[in-house]
Amino acid sequence: MRKHLIAALGLATALTPASAMAQAPVTVGPNGEPATPVAALQLTDAEINQLKQGGFTAAFAWHELYDWSGAVAQGAKDEFARLGIEVVAETDAGFDAARQQADVETVMSRSPSILVSLPVDPAAGASTYAAALQGGAKIVFVDNAAAGFVHGQDYVTTVSADLVGIGEKTAEAMNQALAGAGKVGYIFHDADFHVTNLRDAAFKWHIENTYDGLDIVAEAGMADPARIEDIANAMLLQNPDINGLYVPWAEPATGVLSVLRQLGRDDVRIVTIDLNEPAGLDMVSGGSIAALIADEAYNIGVYAARAGAASLLGRDVDPFLVVDALIVGPANVAEGWQQSLGHAAPPSVLAAGN
Amino acid sequence: MSPPSTTHPAESSPLARLSRINLQQYVVYVGFVAIFVFFAIVLRDSGFLTSRNLVNIALQTAPATIMAIGLVFALSAGDIDLSIGSTVAVSALCAAMAMAAMPEAGLLLGVAAGIGAGLAIGLVNGLLVAYLRLPSFLVTLATMGLFAGVARSLTQLRSIPVTDSMFTGLFGSGSLFGIPSLVIWTVVAVGIGHFVFRQTRFGAHVLATGDNPRAAMVTGIKVPRIRLTVFLISGAMAGLAGLLYSGRLQAAKYTLGETDLMTVIAAVIVGGTLLNGGKGSIIGALVGSLMMGLLNNGLILMGLSVSDQMIVRGLIILAAVAVSLRETTR
Repeated sequence: MRKHLIAALGLATALTPASAMAQAPVTVGPNGEPATPVAALQLTDAEINQLKQGGFTAAFAWHELYDWSGAVAQGAKDEFARLGIEVVAETDAGFDAARQQADVETVMSRSPSILVSLPVDPAAGASTYAAALQGGAKIVFVDNAAAGFVHGQDYVTTVSADLVGIGEKTAEAMNQALAGAGKVGYIFHDADFHVTNLRDAAFKWHIENTYDGLDIVAEAGMADPARIEDIANAMLLQNPDINGLYVPWAEPATGVLSVLRQLGRDDVRIVTIDLNEPAGLDMVSGGSIAALIADEAYNIGVYAARAGAASLLGRDVDPFLVVDALIVGPANVAEGWQQSLGHAAPPSVLAAGN
Repeated sequence: MSPPSTTHPAESSPLARLSRINLQQYVVYVGFVAIFVFFAIVLRDSGFLTSRNLVNIALQTAPATIMAIGLVFALSAGDIDLSIGSTVAVSALCAAMAMAAMPEAGLLLGVAAGIGAGLAIGLVNGLLVAYLRLPSFLVTLATMGLFAGVARSLTQLRSIPVTDSMFTGLFGSGSLFGIPSLVIWTVVAVGIGHFVFRQTRFGAHVLATGDNPRAAMVTGIKVPRIRLTVFLISGAMAGLAGLLYSGRLQAAKYTLGETDLMTVIAAVIVGGTLLNGGKGSIIGALVGSLMMGLLNNGLILMGLSVSDQMIVRGLIILAAVAVSLRETTR
């Protein structure tokens, strides 16, 4: 599971349990701000030239570096390079809020013009980013903002995935996989994690309200991903008519795959979230995984960097920018991987797809 | 063939005399100075030598230094405490939860809860090691995981804000006569730790226990009590580190201290404490901890990628530990 889920615990939302809602859920920002698509944020050639001559610098204080955040970091580095902004320091807090505070203090010794960071603990954000605020850096957040910080005054913006959009796209992929008609098993993340809660609820809402031919016939909560095989096994034994399964993210989906193999259920299609090599390999090999839904992680970095640069030029940036979600299926696995993570799909996935 | 001479001519040469100097005693000081001078030259224009940056290093290393003091006692007695990282998180969370539950009791309750939690974990470790005679490595490996789980379940992964201004001043952002409170805590803890370790009978008994527990017992030292006490000290020090973390961050979370264990062990070993007991140094641990902080700080300011920082840091620690441990086997 992507570890940045925990960092988004504080993400504010107007979402309530989907089944109880009449209106489609929407993604809102840390302080309830409406989402703005990132594409609205562009720089002119004149602005880029101005940035290149400004001698600006940037620093990163990451929560933790792994495949997803590595893609965000690479997007930001590439965009800073395009704008002539030198990256002077980069840190990895190992998901430790105290270490992230130390990291922020350390990188501020280089007096960067921009600080890009994903807060490990938004509740402790005021202390974590105090040195950056004092040092006058333009702070751009990823996924979540520090609690108590005021947009436009203390920080530039928050750039995030469109979590509800991911859930919506996952429902769309399920509809495609079942050709508009089928019985769906819904396995949701049974924990207080806003990121997964939002995605799960949005998926469910769209299955129930957008796609008339699809019915959720079984629901099960997954608190511990290690128990996914027991959950999937029980669900399929009790509901043998299920032909579509929603799994909240890719890692447990690979556990569901082994259950399907044991039961000989090659008629069941799985949709899940995040790009993952074993899941991708199954998908392109004609296995049970029909589609993987991903956010444009690389673009989160690109636009975080661009937002910071725009702020240096005195431009106002909207408080909550979101990137698109995309459906990655067997037909677009190479392009989808590239678009989401900014690098090629693993060779095993590409080879199996050819 | 002539019999081997008892005094080899080369042994009296200056080089031989130099080789007989116990480098282990000085490696941490030499390393600290060398790293400081290196960064001071390389990063002269990158903010390294600014007073703000140097104070930051002292502040950032304070909790690890406090934890290191406890670990010196445990290692010197021939034991190890791997649960100190988890203890930090549990103590910080207990302090924050106690203050949130009874704001009127504030500071005192928070301190009692935090240090009390550390002592309780130390007691569990100590009883299992000293009286059930289980190996400390395995006991504290188990309690490390156990209390990491407790820290997670205490608040269902949520962080607890710490709003008591006296607490955050005393353990975090406050200062006395311009000296940051974290520096004062470090100096006080190192001073007391050094005194107890070097100047008291208890300190001597700790070293005797670590050097040879059977011999220590024969000489009348109550070895189980000494071993229990070092775990209580280690737990209390980790508890104090938890208070410092939560005071500085103005929040407590289950991740606090989680990544510190290896840094603290490295600081203590580089500082001249033996892994297998019988020898230790509180001042060495302080300098070792500052050296780790210096290294983290300088490598970040050099603009190295995170991967490169980890590689270089690992190599330098490896070199320092190699020099320390090589000396101990002579």
